[in-house]
Amino acid sequence: MASRLSEWFDERTGWRGSWTAVFLRKIPKVNWAYTLGSATLFVLVLQFVTGILLTLYYVPEPQQAYASVDYVTNELPFGWLIRGIHHWGASAMVLLAVLHMVRVIAYGAYKYPREVTWITGVALLLLTFAFGFTGYLLPWDQRAYWATVVGTEIGAVPPLVGDFTKDLMLGGDEISGLTLSRFFGAHVWVLPSLTVLLVAIHLYLVVRNGISAPPKRNE
Amino acid sequence: MQGSEERPGRAERSADPEGSTSDVHRRRFLRRAILAIGAGITAALGIPAFAFVTGPSRTGVDEETWIRLGSTASIEPGAPPTLIKATVLRRSGYLTEEQEISVFVTSETGTEFTVLSNICTHLACRVRWVEEQEGFFCPCHNAVFGPDGAVVQGPPPRPLDSFESMVEDGQLYFREA
Repeated sequence: MASRLSEWFDERTGWRGSWTAVFLRKIPKVNWAYTLGSATLFVLVLQFVTGILLTLYYVPEPQQAYASVDYVTNELPFGWLIRGIHHWGASAMVLLAVLHMVRVIAYGAYKYPREVTWITGVALLLLTFAFGFTGYLLPWDQRAYWATVVGTEIGAVPPLVGDFTKDLMLGGDEISGLTLSRFFGAHVWVLPSLTVLLVAIHLYLVVRNGISAPPKRNE
Repeated sequence: MQGSEERPGRAERSADPEGSTSDVHRRRFLRRAILAIGAGITAALGIPAFAFVTGPSRTGVDEETWIRLGSTASIEPGAPPTLIKATVLRRSGYLTEEQEISVFVTSETGTEFTVLSNICTHLACRVRWVEEQEGFFCPCHNAVFGPDGAVVQGPPPRPLDSFESMVEDGQLYFREA
Protein backbone atom coordinates (compact mmCIF):
# COMPACT_ATOMS: atom_id res chain seq x y z
CA MET A 1 0.00 0.00 0.00
CA ALA A 2 2.67 2.48 1.08
CA SER A 3 4.92 1.52 -1.81
CA ARG A 4 2.03 1.86 -4.30
CA LEU A 5 1.23 5.28 -2.90
CA SER A 6 4.85 6.42 -3.14
CA GLU A 7 4.93 5.02 -6.69
CA TRP A 8 1.77 7.02 -7.53
CA PHE A 9 3.34 10.23 -6.23
CA ASP A 10 6.72 9.55 -7.79
CA GLU A 11 5.14 9.10 -11.22
CA ARG A 12 3.48 12.51 -10.88
CA THR A 13 6.09 14.49 -8.94
CA GLY A 14 9.43 12.74 -9.41
CA TRP A 15 10.05 13.19 -5.69
CA ARG A 16 12.41 10.18 -5.49
CA GLY A 17 14.84 11.89 -7.80
CA SER A 18 14.86 14.99 -5.57
CA TRP A 19 15.11 12.86 -2.45
CA THR A 20 18.13 11.04 -3.88
CA ALA A 21 19.74 14.28 -5.02
CA VAL A 22 19.32 15.92 -1.62
CA PHE A 23 19.67 13.16 0.96
CA LEU A 24 21.54 10.35 -0.83
CA ARG A 25 24.17 12.48 -2.56
CA LYS A 26 27.80 11.50 -2.31
CA ILE A 27 29.86 13.48 0.16
CA PRO A 28 33.58 13.44 0.95
CA LYS A 29 34.81 12.02 4.26
CA VAL A 30 34.13 14.81 6.70
CA ASN A 31 34.12 15.47 10.44
CA TRP A 32 31.76 16.80 13.10
CA ALA A 33 32.50 20.43 12.22
CA TYR A 34 30.48 19.81 9.06
CA THR A 35 27.28 19.44 11.10
CA LEU A 36 27.30 23.12 12.15
CA GLY A 37 25.30 24.26 9.12
CA SER A 38 22.62 21.62 9.74
CA ALA A 39 22.62 22.55 13.42
CA THR A 40 22.01 26.19 12.50
CA LEU A 41 19.19 25.14 10.16
CA PHE A 42 17.66 23.00 12.90
CA VAL A 43 17.64 25.90 15.37
CA LEU A 44 16.23 28.15 12.62
CA VAL A 45 13.31 25.75 12.16
CA LEU A 46 12.79 25.76 15.94
CA GLN A 47 12.75 29.58 15.85
CA PHE A 48 10.12 29.56 13.11
CA VAL A 49 7.90 27.08 14.96
CA THR A 50 8.17 28.74 18.39
CA GLY A 51 7.94 32.23 16.81
CA ILE A 52 4.71 31.35 15.02
CA LEU A 53 3.32 29.94 18.27
CA LEU A 54 4.24 33.15 20.14
CA THR A 55 2.41 35.35 17.63
CA LEU A 56 -0.83 33.62 18.66
CA TYR A 57 -0.63 35.56 21.95
CA TYR A 58 1.83 38.43 21.56
CA VAL A 59 0.31 41.89 20.94
CA PRO A 60 2.70 44.50 19.48
CA GLU A 61 1.08 47.48 21.16
CA PRO A 62 2.63 49.54 24.01
CA GLN A 63 -0.22 48.99 26.51
CA GLN A 64 -0.37 45.25 25.94
CA ALA A 65 3.05 44.04 24.77
CA TYR A 66 4.56 43.43 28.20
CA ALA A 67 1.29 42.09 29.64
CA SER A 68 0.92 39.61 26.80
CA VAL A 69 4.53 38.41 27.20
CA ASP A 70 3.96 38.08 30.94
CA TYR A 71 0.79 36.07 30.27
CA VAL A 72 2.66 33.76 27.88
CA THR A 73 5.53 33.26 30.33
CA ASN A 74 3.63 32.84 33.59
CA GLU A 75 0.12 31.70 32.84
CA LEU A 76 -0.14 29.75 29.60
CA PRO A 77 0.65 26.04 29.77
CA PHE A 78 4.24 25.55 28.52
CA GLY A 79 4.43 29.23 27.63
CA TRP A 80 7.72 29.41 29.56
CA LEU A 81 9.04 26.58 27.38
CA ILE A 82 7.95 28.00 24.01
CA ARG A 83 9.25 31.47 24.87
CA GLY A 84 12.36 29.99 26.48
CA ILE A 85 13.24 28.03 23.34
CA HIS A 86 12.72 31.15 21.23
CA HIS A 87 14.80 33.29 23.62
CA TRP A 88 17.76 30.90 23.92
CA GLY A 89 17.41 29.79 20.31
CA ALA A 90 18.17 33.36 19.25
CA SER A 91 21.56 33.21 20.97
CA ALA A 92 22.15 29.67 19.68
CA MET A 93 21.51 30.90 16.12
CA VAL A 94 24.23 33.54 16.37
CA LEU A 95 26.65 31.13 18.03
CA LEU A 96 26.09 28.28 15.57
CA ALA A 97 26.07 30.51 12.48
CA VAL A 98 29.38 32.08 13.54
CA LEU A 99 30.95 28.66 14.28
CA HIS A 100 29.68 27.41 10.89
CA MET A 101 31.32 30.44 9.30
CA VAL A 102 34.59 29.79 11.16
CA ARG A 103 34.59 26.21 9.81
CA VAL A 104 34.07 27.48 6.27
CA ILE A 105 36.89 30.02 6.66
CA ALA A 106 39.28 27.54 8.30
CA TYR A 107 38.76 24.94 5.56
CA GLY A 108 38.77 27.48 2.75
CA ALA A 109 35.34 26.23 1.70
CA TYR A 110 34.28 29.69 0.46
CA LYS A 111 36.52 29.40 -2.62
CA TYR A 112 35.58 28.60 -6.23
CA PRO A 113 32.96 27.39 -7.04
CA ARG A 114 31.22 28.20 -3.73
CA GLU A 115 31.49 32.00 -3.62
CA VAL A 116 27.75 32.55 -4.04
CA THR A 117 27.00 30.11 -1.19
CA TRP A 118 29.39 32.15 0.94
CA ILE A 119 27.77 35.48 0.01
CA THR A 120 24.27 34.21 0.82
CA GLY A 121 25.70 32.82 4.06
CA VAL A 122 27.08 36.22 5.05
CA ALA A 123 23.70 37.81 4.23
CA LEU A 124 22.01 35.17 6.40
CA LEU A 125 24.34 35.99 9.30
CA LEU A 126 23.39 39.68 8.98
CA LEU A 127 19.72 38.67 8.91
CA THR A 128 20.32 36.67 12.09
CA PHE A 129 21.65 39.82 13.77
CA ALA A 130 18.65 41.80 12.50
CA PHE A 131 16.34 39.14 13.94
CA GLY A 132 18.10 39.43 17.27
CA PHE A 133 17.93 43.23 17.29
CA THR A 134 14.24 43.51 16.31
CA GLY A 135 13.17 40.63 18.56
CA TYR A 136 14.92 42.18 21.56
CA LEU A 137 12.49 45.12 21.67
CA LEU A 138 9.30 43.06 21.60
CA PRO A 139 8.99 42.21 25.35
CA TRP A 140 8.79 46.01 25.85
CA ASP A 141 10.53 46.09 29.21
CA GLN A 142 13.34 48.34 30.44
CA ARG A 143 16.08 46.17 28.97
CA ALA A 144 14.31 46.06 25.60
CA TYR A 145 13.74 49.80 25.59
CA TRP A 146 17.29 50.84 26.44
CA ALA A 147 18.88 48.25 24.17
CA THR A 148 16.89 49.75 21.32
CA VAL A 149 17.91 53.28 22.33
CA VAL A 150 21.56 52.21 22.19
CA GLY A 151 21.13 50.16 19.01
CA THR A 152 19.42 52.90 17.06
CA GLU A 153 21.95 55.49 18.33
CA ILE A 154 24.66 53.27 16.84
CA GLY A 155 22.68 53.44 13.60
CA ALA A 156 22.90 57.25 13.83
CA VAL A 157 26.71 57.24 13.86
CA PRO A 158 27.50 57.16 10.10
CA PRO A 159 27.85 60.64 8.55
CA LEU A 160 25.12 61.93 6.18
CA VAL A 161 22.83 58.87 6.35
CA GLY A 162 23.08 58.23 10.10
CA ASP A 163 20.22 60.38 11.37
CA PHE A 164 17.89 59.20 8.65
CA THR A 165 18.80 55.56 9.36
CA LYS A 166 17.92 56.05 13.00
CA ASP A 167 14.61 57.80 12.28
CA LEU A 168 13.77 55.11 9.75
CA MET A 169 14.34 52.39 12.34
CA LEU A 170 12.36 54.23 15.03
CA GLY A 171 9.52 55.39 12.78
CA GLY A 172 10.02 58.94 14.14
CA ASP A 173 12.67 60.58 16.25
CA GLU A 174 12.08 58.57 19.40
CA ILE A 175 10.90 55.14 20.52
CA SER A 176 7.12 54.89 20.34
CA GLY A 177 4.31 52.52 19.48
CA LEU A 178 5.34 52.97 15.86
CA THR A 179 8.79 51.61 16.68
CA LEU A 180 7.26 48.59 18.35
CA SER A 181 4.93 47.78 15.47
CA ARG A 182 7.59 48.22 12.80
CA PHE A 183 10.09 46.10 14.73
CA PHE A 184 7.38 43.47 15.04
CA GLY A 185 6.54 43.68 11.33
CA ALA A 186 10.22 43.38 10.44
CA HIS A 187 10.71 40.52 12.87
CA VAL A 188 7.78 38.37 11.74
CA TRP A 189 7.34 39.28 8.05
CA VAL A 190 10.26 41.07 6.42
CA LEU A 191 13.16 39.13 7.91
CA PRO A 192 11.54 35.67 7.74
CA SER A 193 10.64 36.09 4.04
CA LEU A 194 14.18 37.15 3.17
CA THR A 195 15.55 34.31 5.30
CA VAL A 196 13.43 31.64 3.62
CA LEU A 197 14.51 32.90 0.21
CA LEU A 198 18.21 33.02 1.09
CA VAL A 199 18.19 29.67 2.92
CA ALA A 200 16.58 28.10 -0.16
CA ILE A 201 19.33 29.50 -2.41
CA HIS A 202 22.03 28.57 0.13
CA LEU A 203 20.82 24.95 0.40
CA TYR A 204 20.27 24.61 -3.33
CA LEU A 205 23.89 25.65 -3.88
CA VAL A 206 25.16 23.30 -1.18
CA VAL A 207 23.43 20.42 -2.97
CA ARG A 208 24.35 21.59 -6.46
CA ASN A 209 28.05 22.18 -5.81
CA GLY A 210 28.51 19.46 -3.23
CA ILE A 211 30.47 20.11 -0.04
CA SER A 212 34.21 20.58 -0.02
CA ALA A 213 36.48 17.98 1.56
CA PRO A 214 38.69 19.09 4.46
CA PRO A 215 41.95 20.38 2.95
CA LYS A 216 44.94 18.01 3.11
CA ARG A 217 48.65 18.71 3.51
CA ASN A 218 50.53 19.32 0.21
CA GLU A 219 47.36 20.09 -1.65
CA MET B 1 24.52 14.04 -7.81
CA GLN B 2 25.07 11.77 -10.79
CA GLY B 3 24.08 8.11 -11.10
CA SER B 4 22.98 7.95 -7.50
CA GLU B 5 20.15 5.50 -8.25
CA GLU B 6 22.75 2.76 -8.57
CA ARG B 7 24.30 3.27 -5.19
CA PRO B 8 25.59 -0.02 -3.78
CA GLY B 9 23.69 0.29 -0.49
CA ARG B 10 20.30 0.43 -2.15
CA ALA B 11 21.04 -2.38 -4.57
CA GLU B 12 22.21 -4.67 -1.78
CA ARG B 13 19.24 -3.94 0.35
CA SER B 14 16.72 -4.82 -2.31
CA ALA B 15 18.64 -7.99 -3.22
CA ASP B 16 18.86 -9.19 0.35
CA PRO B 17 16.14 -7.82 2.61
CA GLU B 18 17.56 -9.54 5.69
CA GLY B 19 20.76 -7.57 5.28
CA SER B 20 23.73 -9.82 5.70
CA THR B 21 26.45 -7.20 5.27
CA SER B 22 27.53 -4.83 8.02
CA ASP B 23 27.01 -1.83 5.72
CA VAL B 24 23.32 -2.62 5.45
CA HIS B 25 23.02 -3.15 9.21
CA ARG B 26 24.64 0.22 9.80
CA ARG B 27 22.44 1.87 7.22
CA ARG B 28 19.28 0.46 8.75
CA PHE B 29 20.40 1.32 12.26
CA LEU B 30 21.13 4.91 11.30
CA ARG B 31 17.84 5.26 9.46
CA ARG B 32 15.93 4.04 12.52
CA ALA B 33 17.99 6.17 14.89
CA ILE B 34 17.26 9.28 12.83
CA LEU B 35 13.56 8.46 12.71
CA ALA B 36 13.45 7.82 16.47
CA ILE B 37 15.30 11.04 17.33
CA GLY B 38 13.11 13.01 14.91
CA ALA B 39 9.96 11.54 16.44
CA GLY B 40 11.28 12.34 19.93
CA ILE B 41 11.98 15.96 19.06
CA THR B 42 8.61 16.34 17.34
CA ALA B 43 6.82 14.97 20.38
CA ALA B 44 8.90 17.04 22.81
CA LEU B 45 7.88 20.18 20.97
CA GLY B 46 4.48 19.10 19.63
CA ILE B 47 2.86 18.12 22.93
CA PRO B 48 3.76 21.40 24.74
CA ALA B 49 2.77 23.30 21.57
CA PHE B 50 -0.66 21.67 21.65
CA ALA B 51 -1.13 22.59 25.32
CA PHE B 52 0.11 26.12 24.57
CA VAL B 53 -2.29 26.66 21.67
CA THR B 54 -5.33 25.14 23.37
CA GLY B 55 -4.65 26.69 26.82
CA PRO B 56 -7.23 29.51 26.83
CA SER B 57 -9.79 27.35 24.99
CA ARG B 58 -9.89 24.87 27.84
CA THR B 59 -11.16 27.28 30.50
CA GLY B 60 -14.96 27.09 30.75
CA VAL B 61 -17.48 29.90 31.10
CA ASP B 62 -18.38 30.89 34.65
CA GLU B 63 -21.90 29.57 35.11
CA GLU B 64 -22.11 29.88 38.88
CA THR B 65 -22.15 33.64 39.44
CA TRP B 66 -25.53 35.32 39.75
CA ILE B 67 -25.81 38.32 37.44
CA ARG B 68 -28.01 41.20 38.56
CA LEU B 69 -30.62 42.43 36.08
CA GLY B 70 -32.18 45.19 38.20
CA SER B 71 -35.42 45.83 40.04
CA THR B 72 -38.34 43.47 39.49
CA ALA B 73 -40.65 46.50 39.57
CA SER B 74 -39.59 47.45 36.05
CA ILE B 75 -41.06 44.24 34.67
CA GLU B 76 -44.82 44.50 34.28
CA PRO B 77 -46.81 41.27 34.62
CA GLY B 78 -48.05 40.08 31.23
CA ALA B 79 -46.01 42.65 29.29
CA PRO B 80 -44.10 41.64 26.13
CA PRO B 81 -40.53 40.33 26.67
CA THR B 82 -38.22 43.12 27.83
CA LEU B 83 -34.60 43.18 26.73
CA ILE B 84 -32.45 43.84 29.80
CA LYS B 85 -28.72 44.52 29.59
CA ALA B 86 -26.26 43.54 32.27
CA THR B 87 -22.56 44.31 32.41
CA VAL B 88 -20.21 41.61 33.60
CA LEU B 89 -16.45 41.47 33.99
CA ARG B 90 -14.91 38.72 31.92
CA ARG B 91 -11.28 37.71 32.08
CA SER B 92 -9.68 36.76 28.78
CA GLY B 93 -6.00 36.00 29.08
CA TYR B 94 -4.27 38.99 30.66
CA LEU B 95 -7.21 41.35 30.05
CA THR B 96 -10.28 41.82 32.22
CA GLU B 97 -12.97 43.32 30.06
CA GLU B 98 -16.46 44.59 30.62
CA GLN B 99 -18.92 42.62 28.59
CA GLU B 100 -22.56 43.40 27.97
CA ILE B 101 -25.00 40.51 28.21
CA SER B 102 -28.62 40.92 27.12
CA VAL B 103 -31.53 38.67 28.08
CA PHE B 104 -35.28 38.77 27.54
CA VAL B 105 -37.34 38.80 30.71
CA THR B 106 -41.06 38.08 30.99
CA SER B 107 -43.39 37.55 33.87
CA GLU B 108 -47.01 36.43 33.96
CA THR B 109 -47.56 37.00 37.66
CA GLY B 110 -44.97 39.58 38.73
CA THR B 111 -43.41 37.08 41.12
CA GLU B 112 -42.26 34.34 38.76
CA PHE B 113 -39.84 35.38 36.04
CA THR B 114 -38.66 33.76 32.81
CA VAL B 115 -35.20 34.72 31.59
CA LEU B 116 -34.54 33.82 27.95
CA SER B 117 -31.26 34.04 26.08
CA ASN B 118 -31.29 36.42 23.09
CA ILE B 119 -28.84 34.18 21.22
CA CYS B 120 -30.33 32.23 18.34
CA THR B 121 -29.70 28.51 18.77
CA HIS B 122 -28.97 28.14 15.05
CA LEU B 123 -25.74 30.11 14.55
CA ALA B 124 -25.66 32.54 17.49
CA CYS B 125 -27.00 35.74 15.89
CA ARG B 126 -28.98 37.92 18.32
CA VAL B 127 -32.77 37.69 18.12
CA ARG B 128 -35.20 40.61 18.62
CA TRP B 129 -38.79 40.68 19.78
CA VAL B 130 -41.30 41.64 17.07
CA GLU B 131 -44.47 42.75 18.79
CA GLU B 132 -46.81 42.55 15.77
CA GLN B 133 -45.96 38.90 15.20
CA GLU B 134 -45.60 37.99 18.87
CA GLY B 135 -42.31 36.22 18.31
CA PHE B 136 -38.54 36.46 18.49
CA PHE B 137 -37.08 37.06 15.04
CA CYS B 138 -33.53 36.21 13.99
CA PRO B 139 -32.26 38.38 11.12
CA CYS B 140 -29.59 35.97 9.90
CA HIS B 141 -31.66 33.05 8.57
CA ASN B 142 -35.25 34.15 9.21
CA ALA B 143 -35.84 31.99 12.26
CA VAL B 144 -38.85 32.72 14.47
CA PHE B 145 -39.26 31.67 18.11
CA GLY B 146 -42.51 31.91 20.08
CA PRO B 147 -42.90 34.01 23.26
CA ASP B 148 -41.86 30.97 25.33
CA GLY B 149 -38.74 30.46 23.18
CA ALA B 150 -40.07 27.47 21.19
CA VAL B 151 -39.05 27.22 17.53
CA VAL B 152 -41.87 28.40 15.25
CA GLN B 153 -40.08 28.62 11.95
CA GLY B 154 -36.63 28.24 10.41
CA PRO B 155 -33.47 26.24 11.03
CA PRO B 156 -32.84 26.43 14.83
CA PRO B 157 -32.35 22.94 16.32
CA ARG B 158 -33.79 23.78 19.76
CA PRO B 159 -35.72 26.49 21.64
CA LEU B 160 -34.02 29.62 22.99
CA ASP B 161 -31.97 28.83 26.11
CA SER B 162 -33.75 29.68 29.32
CA PHE B 163 -31.75 30.69 32.39
CA GLU B 164 -32.22 30.07 36.08
CA SER B 165 -33.47 33.18 37.89
CA MET B 166 -33.79 34.38 41.47
CA VAL B 167 -35.27 37.38 43.28
CA GLU B 168 -33.55 38.88 46.31
CA ASP B 169 -34.47 42.21 47.95
CA GLY B 170 -36.61 43.15 44.96
CA GLN B 171 -33.73 42.59 42.57
CA LEU B 172 -33.81 40.03 39.76
CA TYR B 173 -30.77 37.84 39.19
CA PHE B 174 -29.97 35.11 36.67
CA ARG B 175 -27.12 32.75 35.99
CA GLU B 176 -26.01 30.98 32.85
CA ALA B 177 -26.44 27.51 34.29
